[in-house]
Formats: sequence, C-alpha cells, structure tokens
Amino acid sequence: MVAPSTSPHARPRTHWATTLIAIVVALLGLPLLGLGAWLIVLGGSWYYALAGLGLVIVAALLARRSMAAIWLYLLVWLATLGWAYWEVGLDYWAQVPRVVAPTILLVILLLFTPLLSGRKTEGAR
Amino acid sequence: MPVSPKPLLAALLVSSALTAPALAQAPAETTPDPLPAATGTTTPEATPAVDADTDDAAGAPEDEIAAPTAAEPDPGTQPQQSARAPQPQPAVGTDWPFWGGDANAQRYSPLDQITPQNVGRLEKAWTFHTGDLPTGSAAGKYSPEVTPLKIGDNLVMCTAMNNLISVNAATGEKNWEFDAEVSNDAIPYGATCRGVSTYTAPDLPDDAPCKVRIIEGTLDARLIAVDEATGALCQDFGENGQVDLWQGIGEKVPGWYSVTAPPAIVRGIAVTGAQVKDGQAEDAPSGVIRGYDAVTGELVWAWDMGAPEANRNGPPEGETYTRGTPNMWTTATADEELGLVYLPMGNSSVDYWASNRADYEHDWSTSLVAIDVTTGEPAWSFQTVHRDVWDYDLGSQVTLIDYPNGDGSTTPAIILPSKQGDIYILDRATGEALTPVGEIAVPSRGDLEPEALSATQPVSEWHTLRKPDLEEKDMWGFSPIDQLWCRIQFARARYEGFYTPPTTETRWIQYPGYNGGSDWGSIAYDPERGLIIANYNDIPNYNRLIPRDEPLAPPIYEQTDGGDAGGKAEGAGDPQVGAPYGISVNAGWRNFTGIPCTSPPYGGIRAIDINTGETVWDTPIGTARRNGPWGIKSYLPFKIGTPNNGGSVITKSGLIFIGAATDNLFRAIDTATGETLWSDVLNGGGQANPITYEVDGEQYVLIAPGGHHFMETEVTDEVVAYKLPRD
Repeated sequence: MVAPSTSPHARPRTHWATTLIAIVVALLGLPLLGLGAWLIVLGGSWYYALAGLGLVIVAALLARRSMAAIWLYLLVWLATLGWAYWEVGLDYWAQVPRVVAPTILLVILLLFTPLLSGRKTEGAR
Repeated sequence: MPVSPKPLLAALLVSSALTAPALAQAPAETTPDPLPAATGTTTPEATPAVDADTDDAAGAPEDEIAAPTAAEPDPGTQPQQSARAPQPQPAVGTDWPFWGGDANAQRYSPLDQITPQNVGRLEKAWTFHTGDLPTGSAAGKYSPEVTPLKIGDNLVMCTAMNNLISVNAATGEKNWEFDAEVSNDAIPYGATCRGVSTYTAPDLPDDAPCKVRIIEGTLDARLIAVDEATGALCQDFGENGQVDLWQGIGEKVPGWYSVTAPPAIVRGIAVTGAQVKDGQAEDAPSGVIRGYDAVTGELVWAWDMGAPEANRNGPPEGETYTRGTPNMWTTATADEELGLVYLPMGNSSVDYWASNRADYEHDWSTSLVAIDVTTGEPAWSFQTVHRDVWDYDLGSQVTLIDYPNGDGSTTPAIILPSKQGDIYILDRATGEALTPVGEIAVPSRGDLEPEALSATQPVSEWHTLRKPDLEEKDMWGFSPIDQLWCRIQFARARYEGFYTPPTTETRWIQYPGYNGGSDWGSIAYDPERGLIIANYNDIPNYNRLIPRDEPLAPPIYEQTDGGDAGGKAEGAGDPQVGAPYGISVNAGWRNFTGIPCTSPPYGGIRAIDINTGETVWDTPIGTARRNGPWGIKSYLPFKIGTPNNGGSVITKSGLIFIGAATDNLFRAIDTATGETLWSDVLNGGGQANPITYEVDGEQYVLIAPGGHHFMETEVTDEVVAYKLPRD
C-alpha cells in the first residue's frame, strides 16, 4: 500500500508533525503573550508579549504549513538576539535564558522546512 | 542612634570623637600591656607572658566578679596584679591550634611546601569516616561545617552531633572518641558543630589529666571538656566534665538554644553564646554571653544586655536571663593581650519586626561587641545595622591584624565583615573605625512600623562585597518563560534597593539576602601580601510578613515532634510569636524550576588590598556541574558562581584552599591571580573551613566535606587529607 503522503497530488492539507510543532509553538507563545501582557501592565519589558505574539502567529502559519512561519520566526529570533544584546551585552550567563531556548526552537523549525510550502509553490511539490 | 555602653570604668576610659555619628563606641580599657604589639603574621602572640602563678584568683572567680571594681588594676599598674594574666598563645604552622588558624583568626599558614607550581600533583593522603551520619528524624538536617584543630600529632574535631574524635594527623587513624549522646530533638536548624577549642591549664602539672583539654559547646547546650590525650571527661570541669548552659535560660525546649561554634578562650575564660533558633517567638531564650573558667567550668561572668549588673553572676533563683535578646551564634575572637573578646552579635529572636524590642536590643543588635573578660563588661561596640529587620546577623568571625597606617606604622585592628558585604576595619582597643564609614539614607521606612525603623544605615566606604541594586533585566531562568515569571515577581514585589523595608501586602526583595555577603566561613588574611581573601554570596531573598490569619508553622515549644521545623530554610513560615506577623522567606528567591530568579554568579571570591581597600581580583566561585533546573545535575564544568558557605585557608606559598561552593569541589586558587590551579571532587559538600598542617616534614591540606542540608549538597561523615606524593 502506498502512503497517501508520498504522492504530492494526494498530500493532505495538514501533516501530523507540522500540527504537533504548531501546537508546541502555540504552547510556548501563549504564556509569553499572556504573561508578557501582564508584565507590560506592571511596567516591565515589552519583549515577551511581542515575542509571544510572534510565536502565536508562527504557530498559526505552521498549522497552515506555510513557509512564512520560518521567515517570521527568523525575524523573531533576530529581534531576540538584538534585544538580548541591548539588555545584557555579551554577559554569557545572562544570555542563556534569552537566546538558548529560542535558538533551539530555530533549529527545530528549520528541520521542518521540507514539510512546509512557500506561497508561490504551494501545492506544486 | 548611639550604641555606646555607658562607660563602666570611667577612670580607664577616654572619650573620643567619632566620624560616624551613629556608630558610637566607647574606648576600651587601656590596660598596660607588657607584650610587644603582636606582629599578627606567622608567629602571632607567641610572646611569653607573665608568670601564671598569679592565677590563684582563677580558682575563685566568683569572688573576683562579685566586686569587679576591686579587682581592677589601677591605671599604670602591671597586669601581673590582674586576676588573669595573658598567656602565650600557640602559633599556626605545623599545628592548626585555633578554629581560625592562629589566635588572630587569619586563616593564614606559614607552610610553603605545597606551591602554585606543584599543587597540581596534590593527592589524597587518607579519608577518615567519623561515623556520624543522620539517623531517624535527623535526616535532612545535617550541616556539620566542622573544622578540626591540629595539635601535636593529632587532629581533634567534633562531629555534627558533637561527638569528639582525635585522629592521627598523618594516618587518619582514630585515637579516641567521646560520644556526646546528643539526641535528634536537640537539632535546631541544622546539626552543626563548627569546631572545638583547646586550652592548656597553666597551673596544672604537666602530667595532670586535662592539662591540655578540648572544650566544645553542644547542640543540647552543654559545655564539655575532655582530656586532649585520652578523650576522658575532665573531672575538674563543671560536673563530671560538663556545664549545663540551660541554667538561667528558662524552660528547656530542645533545639531552641544550641551551641554550634567553638568557644573563644581568653585569659582562661571560655566565652560562649548560642544559636537561638530564629523566628519562633519574642519570648525566646536569652542571647546572654557567658564566660566560664576553662579549668573549673565555673561561671565567671554573664553579659545579659537587658540586666548587665543584676545578672552578671547569673539570674536569681527562678528567674532567667533577659528573654529574646540578640544572640551570638557564630565564633567570637579572643584577644589575649587586651583581655577582650570580640562578639559578632546577631539580631533579636524575632528578626523581622522591630517595634517590640527594648532599647538595649536596639543598641546592641547586629553589633560587634568587645567584652573585657576580666570584668564581663562591654568595652566598646560597633553597630553594622540599626533596627535590623533583615536578619543581617553578624555571621563572620572577626580577624585580628596589624593595620598599616600608611606611614610605616601599624595599629592593632580588627577586620569585621558583614552579611551586607561591608568590610570594616576597627581599632581593637577602642572600636573606632580606621577606614571611612558612611551613613546612608534608607530608601524608605515602609508603612508597617516606620517609627521603629532607622532612617539611615551604616556602610563601609572602604570596601564592600555588595553589588549594585537589582534591575528587571537581572532576572534569570533557563528559558524566556521562567525568566518572564521572575520579571513579573520582580515587578510585583516591593523593591526600592538596599534596605527595602519589610512588607505584608506583597513580597519584598531583600538584597543581599541573609546568607551574605560574608557568613560564618569568614575571611582570610595574608599578612605578607597584605590581602584580604573574602568569599561571598550574591543572592537575594524574597520575603513577606505573614498576617496571623494565614498559615504559619507552630512555634518550636508547641511542636510535638521538635524535629519537624529543622532542616528547612530559616524563616520559611516562622511564626514570630509576639509580633503581629510571621515571616516567609524564599531564600535565594528561587522560581518554580528551583533555580534563583536572579542572574549568576551567585557567589564569588575576591582579593582586597589592605592598604587601599581596592579589589585586586574577583572571580566567581563554583562550577555548574552539580546545578541545573529541578535539581538536575548539569555536569557543566563552566564556572558559574554558586552560593557558598565556608571559608578559605591561605598559605605562605601563595595558595588559597577552599571548598564552600555547591559544586562539591575542593580547590586551590593562585593568591596572585585568582586562577584555580587544582581541584578535586569531594563526595559531599565542602561547606566547612579547611585547614593545613605539617607532620614529619610533609604539608597536609584537609577538609571535612560534611555537606549541608540548606545548601543541598550531599552529607558525608568524611574528613579528607591531601598531600604531595613522595618522590
């Protein structure tokens, strides 16, 4: 029996792996967005809510298997690097919570690029 | 807020002006001193003193202190006429005769066989097991912190539960053991015995039993004296070699009143305070300081700040020393020449509420107090916190040095470190600061008891280990999510910087936390290089005063199992009976992953130039190998800077030996650079001060890695000695 997913023409609109990663990214993004909004109300940094919002949108794009998810996450990741450097410079230990987890997520998302489709080529593979 | 005791020996006192208005001191008795000023270096106070045959009064100390003024020498008389003459003090080197190394507590050894060049070849010589490990209800409450003494051929030490053991210093073989039979319910906060003291009785014949004796204070509040040679109880001391320190304290509640530090022995008087378990009640055991004749065990004097005259010889039958007063749980330093003992006092029994304290508590709390042991009266004091509501007890033993005045001369001085990180240098005779002391305005006095708190606090303008105030960006975590959670906690807490007042509506951030700065491990001093070596903590606490309608632990005297309250962090739900609030302390301010909310390093070690007060080097201490989220060991070999407890030893050859950090490493650091040159993995936490000594021409370095429940390191019963391999 040939699995339906091996045929580009029979490819379903979703894939279990992209659905899973979309859920994971949403579960990371929603607390950042929610708690980050609370932090803004408390007068603290805006980074977390904005990053959380970015992740929620990334999750939605992943669920739609859109390559835009990767590009948006790259933007979030680069912004994170810039913000982290602005806050604590090159302090090695201070960078750990700011860049390690987002970079691990970047690597994981990049592994998903074969399962995603760019807008122009959607449905063509 | 002057804290000066009223001059008690007016004829001997000279008034002096003070640079810091709130730090008043009265100058000390200026007893004429036949001894040359101690060099404070490698053979301190080894000068032979006057003959000891004037010590008859030692046999009848009660008579002497019954009429203290009569016993006082007139100005200008020779000290031979005083009741107790200074005795020569043993030198550090081959031996390690005092808890702090030498009589000056410098933790400096003139040994130089182990050098920066060969320390890499250091290896284990032997490991001794004391056999004292937690049983039953003592589980999770062990923090032995023990530092042995080395005298002659032997090491003498106590164990966590106060058993006394003598061990051959070259082989680690046991000579004798004395079982103190301390029961588990006597454990206050942790089962700790930092060390013992030794005393050579000058009037006893050389072959008399207990000519050289070991004296310890115990968790169940006894002073015990045993023969150094045999471990047999000294029959001339107290009753069957023991003195009951519960006398005059009041109702005996095991674990509420415990001795964890070695007594300071000055002119034949063993001086001890006690740890009064924090935060239980205002009506708590007294913080009285008592001096006992080191030969007979008789009470020579008591210093009860609430009733200094009335209770000097002990309270009347049926009464107690003044309850709830500031105590001294750490190690005092003896000044044999001046006849003073320097007491680093803690806070009142209820640490986080000031309104119900008496004036004398305000005056003496969290001060270094010099007591004239010949009279039992205070000579001077120096306060490091006014109206302490942060549990900033003075935790470090003070170190005696000859402070360079800058013109080639020196002044006999004291290095006083504090939990806030401030390092003060004081004149031993007068208590006057020799380095600049400032008085800063606190950010506010809060809403709860503003009138009871001080508007200003002292700081050292010479040197502080304290870092700048926290900011939101100092919050840490392993991921953005726990870091964000800590930022929210930061934003919701009351925090106005150093000395933020306690609150109950929200948490408040106390930074530095109650572990220091400098704690009981104290600092070390290299007199040849002129360096202070200070390891320190750099971590906040996250506190809240808890109203009575919220759950609090019952006070210790209402606990059916007295053991329940031990082990956990101090202040984690303590009732503070008598105050309107209990206290909740999140020590180290740890988030849901168990790691601190603030950024590392959490601890460091620093070299400070004694001439300038400037930092020579400063580096984090402790790697991440044993640390990680949810207690998972990361095995990362990177230096992160962990919380640390326990001091260091400096050798003449230019090495610093220290465990202390929570990575269970014992390491040798280059005194010149701060670089770690050698380390070895211990089986337990190295939360104890190491020592170094020599046997048969070989230098040993030793640490007892007993672990620590609060520092969350493995508990062992090991004592480990290292030396260079024989070529």
